[in-house]
Amino acid sequence: MSRSSTSSLAACVWIPLFPLRCEEARQGGLANYPTALLAPDTTRKLWQVSSLARHAGVKPGMTVSQAIGLCSSLRLIEPDPVHYDERFSQLLSTLNEVSPVVEPSELGLVYVGIDGLKGIYGSTEAIIEAIRQTVQPSDRPTVRLGFGLGKFTAWVAASRAKPGEAVIVPVGAEKKFLASQPNSVLPLDSDTHRRLRLLGLRTLGALAALPEAAVTAQFGALGKRLWRLAAGRIAEPVEGRIAPEPIVAALTFFTPIGERELLVHSLDQLIARALKHPRRIGWRVQAVRLRAGLEGGGSWLATHLLKDPTADAGRIAAPLQTRLEQSPPTGAVERLILEFTAFAPGTTELQLFARDAQAAARAGQQRALQSAAREIRMRVQGGRANLYHVIEVQPWSRLPERRYALIDYEP
Amino acid sequence: MVAPARTPLRTDRLRAVNEPQPVTVEFDESGVMTIGRPDGRTVGKVEAILESWRIDDEWWRYMIARAYLEVILEGGKRLVLFQDLITGQWFVQMP
Repeated sequence: MSRSSTSSLAACVWIPLFPLRCEEARQGGLANYPTALLAPDTTRKLWQVSSLARHAGVKPGMTVSQAIGLCSSLRLIEPDPVHYDERFSQLLSTLNEVSPVVEPSELGLVYVGIDGLKGIYGSTEAIIEAIRQTVQPSDRPTVRLGFGLGKFTAWVAASRAKPGEAVIVPVGAEKKFLASQPNSVLPLDSDTHRRLRLLGLRTLGALAALPEAAVTAQFGALGKRLWRLAAGRIAEPVEGRIAPEPIVAALTFFTPIGERELLVHSLDQLIARALKHPRRIGWRVQAVRLRAGLEGGGSWLATHLLKDPTADAGRIAAPLQTRLEQSPPTGAVERLILEFTAFAPGTTELQLFARDAQAAARAGQQRALQSAAREIRMRVQGGRANLYHVIEVQPWSRLPERRYALIDYEP
Repeated sequence: MVAPARTPLRTDRLRAVNEPQPVTVEFDESGVMTIGRPDGRTVGKVEAILESWRIDDEWWRYMIARAYLEVILEGGKRLVLFQDLITGQWFVQMP
């Protein structure tokens, strides 16, 4: 039975520049070059830049032409949001092995509920180490971990941690820890940050030292929340995700069938029906079970754990079809039952990167484009076809040849 | 061995799009323009000039001055060409 759960003790797992780290993990040696990810909504601007690129003066939000002017050796990477969501989903799944209470906040930032885990692991340090082990080895040097009472304290602790290390704030020490932290850790827009600076408030301690009513009068409801966060009065618990219950689809045959083709066809129908189930929306299937009731009372069972959770009917069907071919039911089938028994967060549901449906659709389109490009490469000129992507360089230029450029497109 | 799924887009691999292509322009006695390729082949005779405009830019660096013409060739083909007013050379280019 699935249920939601909460935890007041929180660990914050933060992998800064997560999409860039995904690309570095995928392309060996990339970390040795100044790199930048193009923005997902407009390829004219940069989204995330590596530290080497920063040293050259390249900053997020710059246009491609500005960045190239500052760093001619800059390597530009097109974003692959589906891949980032998949990697993040993997991280969530492995964190679920440490704690049942896992709350994703944004790409590369997760809260893990650790209430009661001391009984299993023995100490806070051991829990932190167990969490660290769930992170991909390539991300371990950059992951920052924070521990504290409530999500905010855990986040501030993680933001203060050095890369690859953890900061633990003991229960009861939140107020003292938070007091010395800069206001930049507060979830604020730049305008409110500026106002706090103009008021001479640079630390959470300075903010918390003011009367709550005064801060509320100045900043309204937001100010009240900020004051409470700064004073350590709020300890928002980690809220675990509610996993759906198993989804079952069944088919009863009036005449028992033994032909494999018919069984495969029925299986496809059952998968399509189960995928359409409202409980499945937003989740990818991780474990699937196919049962058959045989004529005369026997039964047949095939289970499969999908290495890569998916909502694609073909990928769910493939291992079951193989099983039907290699070890088919020993008799005619009267009833076929398909069950989706475990799920992983779906990329479109997560929408951590692609926060709206339109962006999710864009991500899907990009995946389709990459697939088509691979197909063209395979078919044309024995894989030597050159594919280019048109990027805007100076679209405002009066000189037509300055407006756009072609860049190698290598999906 | 499987190649990396994606490789970075290197800025040193940027290729220009819509670069001006050199052409020759000759005027006959009656003033009709004939456009040709540098290898001597004829592109066509200009039947009408639809529009003309001028671009002066980057005077602070290397002066760029171009006189653009949008023309219709015999046979109906539409073409945009310009004369580089610094060197006097003619080019065709997409608008």
